[in-house]
Amino acid sequence: MFLVDLIKGLKVTFNYQAPSEAITEQYPLERPVIFERFRGQPRLKVDPESGTSMCIVCNLCALACPEQLIVVKGERNPVTKRKEPISYTYDLSRCMFCGLCAEACSTDALELTQDYEMALYSREGMVLDQAALERGQEPVRYVK
Amino acid sequence: MFDAITKYLGSNATPGEAGSMFWATIYILIITVGISLAVISMNWLERKILAHMQVRIGPMRVGPHGLLQPFADALKLLIKEDIIPQDADKLVFWSAPVVVTMTAFTTFLVVPFGREHAVTDMNIGILFMLGISSLGVLGIIMAGWSSNSHYPLMGSLRSSAQMVSYEIAMGLAIVCAVLMTSLQTGTGTLSMIGIVESQASQHTWFIFKFFPLGFLAFAIFAIAMVAETNRAPFDLPEAESELVAGFHTEYSGFRWSLFFLAEYAAMLAVSSIAVTLWLGGWMRPFPTWLGGSTWDMAFSLFPALTFFVLAGLCLLGAVRMPKIPQMKIQTTGLAIFGFLLGFVGLLLIVPGVRERVQDIYWFVVKVAFFMYLYIWYRGTFPRYRFDQLMKVGWKILLPTGLGVLIATALWGLLPQISSSILGVLP
Repeated sequence: MFLVDLIKGLKVTFNYQAPSEAITEQYPLERPVIFERFRGQPRLKVDPESGTSMCIVCNLCALACPEQLIVVKGERNPVTKRKEPISYTYDLSRCMFCGLCAEACSTDALELTQDYEMALYSREGMVLDQAALERGQEPVRYVK
Repeated sequence: MFDAITKYLGSNATPGEAGSMFWATIYILIITVGISLAVISMNWLERKILAHMQVRIGPMRVGPHGLLQPFADALKLLIKEDIIPQDADKLVFWSAPVVVTMTAFTTFLVVPFGREHAVTDMNIGILFMLGISSLGVLGIIMAGWSSNSHYPLMGSLRSSAQMVSYEIAMGLAIVCAVLMTSLQTGTGTLSMIGIVESQASQHTWFIFKFFPLGFLAFAIFAIAMVAETNRAPFDLPEAESELVAGFHTEYSGFRWSLFFLAEYAAMLAVSSIAVTLWLGGWMRPFPTWLGGSTWDMAFSLFPALTFFVLAGLCLLGAVRMPKIPQMKIQTTGLAIFGFLLGFVGLLLIVPGVRERVQDIYWFVVKVAFFMYLYIWYRGTFPRYRFDQLMKVGWKILLPTGLGVLIATALWGLLPQISSSILGVLP
């Protein structure tokens, strides 16, 4: 009768006007907070001491992948007697970032990093080769 | 002729009273530009305030804090392709936005921004305003009919039904205020300036007179005026979830912007009616209680103070801008805008200007409060259903309005009634 509900509603909207309440994130200027367990751009680690890939071509990641988007080929290095990848492709366009590959990796060579800027201008660029995986994320800048 | 022009400056009358065509034209131009500026700033404020009510931040990229967004939009609307639907009634389609805009702007002829700051003082001022603003419905119906499309027609039918039914409640509320001008003094008036002056002579705003009757009449008017201008929560004619955009669905570009301009001008017009009738028009708060030259002086500093606060906010915003090269232009722009506002504030301190703009300032502040209310309602209330809308109009506002009107009349006549009864009784 006395329209108390209306006044309550008005009060709610009035209080939300404080600029500190706004949750909008102005993306290029403000970076979002990425949580520790966020799974983003995949990355193949390189041994910091020897500079060689940590991947031992065990094929576990390719077997673990539900989408079968990882293809690993390798051969044994006659000098070090280690198996080394000669081609490693990761089709990002089909990836759902489940993280099973990184979980399966026996040497922790493959990981899903916290990088998230994966937009590209061509579909071909989505298939990452070994070099791209080792370089890590390279956001494509927009040029006029 | 030059004498006639300069003679007016010394007089204390509106151009209409002084019979000065030249100054009336100047006033009309100033008011037109002022209303357009108000609509532009209202556009920005509405987006910003609404955004913050919805925990967003609103326009941010075009100019510092999106300050140039309305100008960008206006430019976009002006250079858009002009489309008239193939089967539309071309002449009516063309004239509808003109009718709506003309009526919305014509009402400002009698709005008193101050004792001498009105184009003219008509003795039927409030009646003139109501009559002209009711003509706006005609433009809306024309727009809906001539578009030759379902949604506009539905929208305009809803709009006309709504405006016609709320105009009655609005009229009753206005009659209450007009009655108050005559009661106890015996000289009623319909002139907008006369109404404010009678509030001054009765030492009260009509919202507080005969409490709670004045307040009730004001409340009825405040509800009816939202419905009258088709704003949320009574925006059924433009209900985008049902009718696309209502009566202006087929309009685009410049014609659409005319509708937009008219809508906001109409909002300003009805708000100024409310301010004039119930909130003391151009009078500053407490003119008698806090009287005397010291208080006059203190209150006359308010306009400058407002501008200084705005300038301070701008400079604070400029200081708090992100310190990166991309934002440099925006930061300097905001700082320059802040200094401009501060300069205007300094101008308003000059004694001659100070006394001249005071009444305009208080009028504008009161209207701005109503504008904020409009945005506030829009951010808060869900839209009424059509039957609910009609129920509120006919079953609540109309009977209450009638009751308040009768009660006001009786209360006003109380001294006469009691004296006649006492006179008859020995």
